[in-house]
Amino acid sequence: MRMKTFLIDDDDLGNYLTETLLRLEGFCDDILTFQLAEDALQALLQARGSEIPQIIFLDLNMPLMNGWQFLEALAPYQGQLLGRCHIYILTSSLALTDMEKAKTYDLVAGLIHKPIDSDEIRAIRSHLEEQKA
Amino acid sequence: MLPSDRIPAHVFFEQHPDAVFTLNAAGEIVRANGPFAELLGCPAAQVAGRSFWACLQPGERERAGQGFEQALAGETCVLDLALGGAVSRRMTCTLFPLLINEQVQGVQGILQDVGPPSQAEKGREPEHMLSVIFNTIADVVFVLEVGEAGSFRFSFANRAFTQTTGIPLEQILGKRIEEVIPEPSLSMYQEKYRLAVATQQRLGWLDTTVFPAGRVTGQVSITPVVEADGSCRQLVGIVHDQTSVLQAAEALTVSNERYKYAIRATTDAIYDWNIPENTLFWGEGFEALFGHMLVQNVSNLDLWAEFIHPDDSQQTVYSLMQAVEAPHVRYWQGEYRFRRADNTWATVFDRGYVLRDAAGQPLRMIGAMQDISERKEAEERQRRMAQEVFKQNADLQQFAYIVSHNLRAPLANALGFADLLLRTGKDTEVFDNSLKNLHASLRELDAVLSDVSTVLAVRDRQEVPQREPVHLAGVCQRVAQSLIDSLREADATISCQLPDDLQVCGNRAYFHSIFYNLFSNAIKFRADDRPLSVVVTGMQTPGQGSTITVSDNGSGFDTARAGTDVFQLYKRFHPVKRGRGIGLFLVKSHVEAMGGTVTVESQVNVGTRFILHFS
Repeated sequence: MRMKTFLIDDDDLGNYLTETLLRLEGFCDDILTFQLAEDALQALLQARGSEIPQIIFLDLNMPLMNGWQFLEALAPYQGQLLGRCHIYILTSSLALTDMEKAKTYDLVAGLIHKPIDSDEIRAIRSHLEEQKA
Repeated sequence: MLPSDRIPAHVFFEQHPDAVFTLNAAGEIVRANGPFAELLGCPAAQVAGRSFWACLQPGERERAGQGFEQALAGETCVLDLALGGAVSRRMTCTLFPLLINEQVQGVQGILQDVGPPSQAEKGREPEHMLSVIFNTIADVVFVLEVGEAGSFRFSFANRAFTQTTGIPLEQILGKRIEEVIPEPSLSMYQEKYRLAVATQQRLGWLDTTVFPAGRVTGQVSITPVVEADGSCRQLVGIVHDQTSVLQAAEALTVSNERYKYAIRATTDAIYDWNIPENTLFWGEGFEALFGHMLVQNVSNLDLWAEFIHPDDSQQTVYSLMQAVEAPHVRYWQGEYRFRRADNTWATVFDRGYVLRDAAGQPLRMIGAMQDISERKEAEERQRRMAQEVFKQNADLQQFAYIVSHNLRAPLANALGFADLLLRTGKDTEVFDNSLKNLHASLRELDAVLSDVSTVLAVRDRQEVPQREPVHLAGVCQRVAQSLIDSLREADATISCQLPDDLQVCGNRAYFHSIFYNLFSNAIKFRADDRPLSVVVTGMQTPGQGSTITVSDNGSGFDTARAGTDVFQLYKRFHPVKRGRGIGLFLVKSHVEAMGGTVTVESQVNVGTRFILHFS
């Protein structure tokens, strides 16, 4: 599947895990990993057309710019991104407040507790395919 | 021509212009003409049958009686008499016998106006005046006759005597003093009277006696009347009643006493400010409360204002002046800090009442300053405690949140890698990596758990267990020594430039932890392109405490982006490089537990400097 994916997490072990699972599931090959949310933001804002990732996995707890700040920074570009870029929050947090807060962002398609598993990866894929159809 | 025998005798009698009358042998009026009735001021018909004596002034009866007796004896008698009745008049009275058949049957009389008073009569006027005076003045006046064997008898007393004592005059006049004056005053009076008689000197004293009218207090003055032969047979007494004056004075004394004790009972500083004259009078509490020994008690408002804390002074004086100048404001109150004699500050609650004249102009202000320092401090302690509890509660919530997250992060990774191990063949690169990463995740999990226990230990023990002078240079070198392997690996040096005599009162283990965490951070966040150099300096300034700096030439961080508190637990602000966000939290906790402060300065790719200060 030709799909571009951003993985934003300061935890390199976590990134390695997620990336490996995505590849094993054949989710996509084009995975870009960012340990700094700021770098991901720059890349996203400079992306044109097919460069824009369909999927972003976003960690919440990161130094400097955390997941929420990343989402706030994207707010001005929401119009251009909605429907083209789906953001999944991928967090180790089990807090309900994070779940509730996630729902207030239109760009957020869902919240997944780490570690992501095969079923979740398949669900995301089918969701995307539905949308395309 | 009118024959004389045709004129009835009674015509002459009745038409006589003078008052003409006839008395029987008992002195009763048998008949009297119109002018007589007129003189008495009563109808003519009611005159007959009355006693002639009753028509006279009481003092005249004796003389009149003598004249009457003379007339009855056959002589004609002329006297001056003062008539009683509506208008007292002095008349010349001619009394002569009423002869019927050579027998004296009664007395006839003629009363004639004397005209202007004679010299003798003028001499009697002052007597009359005195009588008026005695009976109208408020002071008690009495005369005592001095009898044999030191007995005293009232021969005169004025109306005021009765009014003051409540004893009727008839129970006084002619009575011995034992019959009038109650004990215990009686004995004292007798003594005084005898003394006055013996010394022939005037005596005076303040006397209180219980009479039927009540307790009477008066200034008594007894004057002996000394006769020509040197004897003393009369005492004149005057009593000036001071009962009401003394009662008022006594009430005032009682009220003053009460006020005095009330002031003593209160711990407040009472003041009385005379506003037009700007004089300020302090109650006893002022010295007791604040310890100022006032050179003179009367000062002015400026002195008061001088003692007020500079930060409160302007506002307090302004608000007082506003209140005093507003015509309808009765009360003023303020809270301010007031300097004690030992230069500490008392928090004072001051409330005053402004007295004004009819025009609303301020005259005086009476008020009290209350030292509420203790209450204030208790309130402040309570406020701080509440704040602390609130903060700790918030911290705990945050702590729980972060711990759950930080625990879950390596756990989630471990779960994920375990899952991968199941799915991949043994001889693949993914399998090897997963196994390695599983280990790494579990080690991380272990580190997080150990952090949690460290943090909980620090939180539990807010107070420093043991404080002693700590030789910082020694601790610093020992920590550097313990990190020697890491330092060599990182190609780093630690230069301890702490003065050898620098000692800070605190806990050795805490300082060890502080240096350890700061050095570990420096190694962890060193710049990749240059060897790390850490410099520790220290300086002790008498009176200002000690300052220790730990500087490095590492990667630094953006202080603006790192946010308000880099010392917060689990706060990480270095990109990418793994920090658990606990080192600086521990540094700060330890520094503050020893009463110090810690601040940080940093510049990206230049270095970081931590400044510790202990006062």
